[in-house]
Amino acid sequence: MSVSKQEIKTLARLSRLEFSDEEVEKFAPEFEEIIDFANRINEQVAGDTGTIREVVTRTVKWEDLRDDEVKESLPNEKITSNVQAENGYFPVRRVVK
Amino acid sequence: MKSVILTLSKKLQSGEITSVQLTEQYISAIEKSNPQLNAYVHLTFDEARANAQAADKMIKDGRATALTGIPFTLKDNIATDGLLTTCCSKILQGFKPYYDATVWSKLKAQGAVLLGKTNMDEFAMGSTSETSVYGAPLNPVDNTRVTGGSSGGGAAAVCANLAAYALGSDTGGSIRQPASFCGVVGFKPTYGAVSRYGLLAYGSSLDQIGPMTQSVTDAAIVYDAIRGEDKADGTSCKTPDGKTVLKGDINGLKIGVAEEYFDGISPEIKSAIDNMISAYEKGGAQVVKVSIPALKSALPVYYIIACAEASSNLGRYDGIRYGFRASNYTSVDDMITKTRTEGFGKEVKKRIMLGTYVLSSGYFDAYYKKACLLRKTVESQMAEAFEKCDVLFAPTAPNTAFKRGYSGGNAVETYLSDVCTVPVNIAGLPAISIPCGADKYGLPIGMQIIGKKFDDALVLDTAYFAELNNLSKTAEVEGGVKL
Repeated sequence: MSVSKQEIKTLARLSRLEFSDEEVEKFAPEFEEIIDFANRINEQVAGDTGTIREVVTRTVKWEDLRDDEVKESLPNEKITSNVQAENGYFPVRRVVK
Repeated sequence: MKSVILTLSKKLQSGEITSVQLTEQYISAIEKSNPQLNAYVHLTFDEARANAQAADKMIKDGRATALTGIPFTLKDNIATDGLLTTCCSKILQGFKPYYDATVWSKLKAQGAVLLGKTNMDEFAMGSTSETSVYGAPLNPVDNTRVTGGSSGGGAAAVCANLAAYALGSDTGGSIRQPASFCGVVGFKPTYGAVSRYGLLAYGSSLDQIGPMTQSVTDAAIVYDAIRGEDKADGTSCKTPDGKTVLKGDINGLKIGVAEEYFDGISPEIKSAIDNMISAYEKGGAQVVKVSIPALKSALPVYYIIACAEASSNLGRYDGIRYGFRASNYTSVDDMITKTRTEGFGKEVKKRIMLGTYVLSSGYFDAYYKKACLLRKTVESQMAEAFEKCDVLFAPTAPNTAFKRGYSGGNAVETYLSDVCTVPVNIAGLPAISIPCGADKYGLPIGMQIIGKKFDDALVLDTAYFAELNNLSKTAEVEGGVKL
């Protein structure tokens, strides 16, 4: 199955990743190979889906949910210890013109 | 196989050696061997020395357990308060979590000694540990070979006696396959049996923490110490009270063998497993043939689901809240994009892209939904197989350790090496990999014992039969701490 270069660029934008034209050129065949691999599920799915009515997800039962109690949260200084932070805020470049 | 934990614990509790002395032995061994092996990526020797002092006090006060004072290692994706946890990725360069993973809190309470964090594929995405930003660890059995992955550093550390045991994580075989490649034991518990709180997420519905050890006895001891329900992980479950009892009792045990597991397996591996099965038969077990046709679709199902979950889980790495941020950007959106582009490696990007693709409108039904349906089929067919047998025996990997540099080749070919391990994650089952002989190059072969959900104790006890009867031997290598 072929995936167009434009499609790869769109996917990259959705994934917040950037690929140069040269990288897209290299990435396209590898990506197609993986999509072909993913397509193998189509060989298997025929005849099998009839017996399955819904998508299975692991659900949490209501009685498993904890009470919504206020608890002490992690201290600000700890949370911001890994990043550039000033007075508990995360500074970024100016966004408002 | 010899229990490293029980041997060391006896020495510690009899006063033959202190934990501080034992820890120094491991530290010297790591300083000597690690520059070559690259099993550890972050050394936490200050922490280890403090842990050892606390452990010696526990022993003196008569509060010791089997794990008190024993040095071990955590995979680099398990959160340790104030200690580097980077998933072997540039994007988490310098990142120190501000809380402990539940497994680490539990072990710390027992007086465990943390030597460091071990090497892995970046974000656990790989089968060779070669996608690590710190470079790959070497297989101690043969340095020209990979350790397997993604918990390759942990497997190498245990194999080379640079830690008494290691904790790894297993999303599609990441504990079992490296254990098999390095000739050690690797146990992936039932999904939910061990809390994932503090495990940096890859595929949340598949990820599970478990031990990598030199013996089945050790795997059971570590498993008992880390399992159980945790309020901080909504998917964790209660596990049976009391210790896991190992008797090696296999009389009347029904061993299921599914031919689908042996498709495309090297003849040497097949014959090693056949020999092991015969030994179990002689010991009183019965062999039952079962069929699980859906195993054929397990691999693409796994990659679709794991990548879909990864693309969402890795969305949080935005350059704001974690270690690394790109320096040249023009807007917030540009900052996020540049940080991710510079911070993630090639394989991680590929999987995020695949995940985004299968979740995007127009493809969701064709891939993600279909994969979820097939996941259910794999789950139910495996459950049906377990109506006819108690455990399944299967190879851990279709091959032994490959030559280094393998993952530079065809991506799909590397993915195929997970064919025997992923069904267990898809169905949430417990499975152990134990050493099962060697191939013509002397490289270890691994065999899996798979059980029903929450039959973790039966899986361990079945494996213990091999330990008890000397059917399974861990790889022996030079160096490290000798018992």
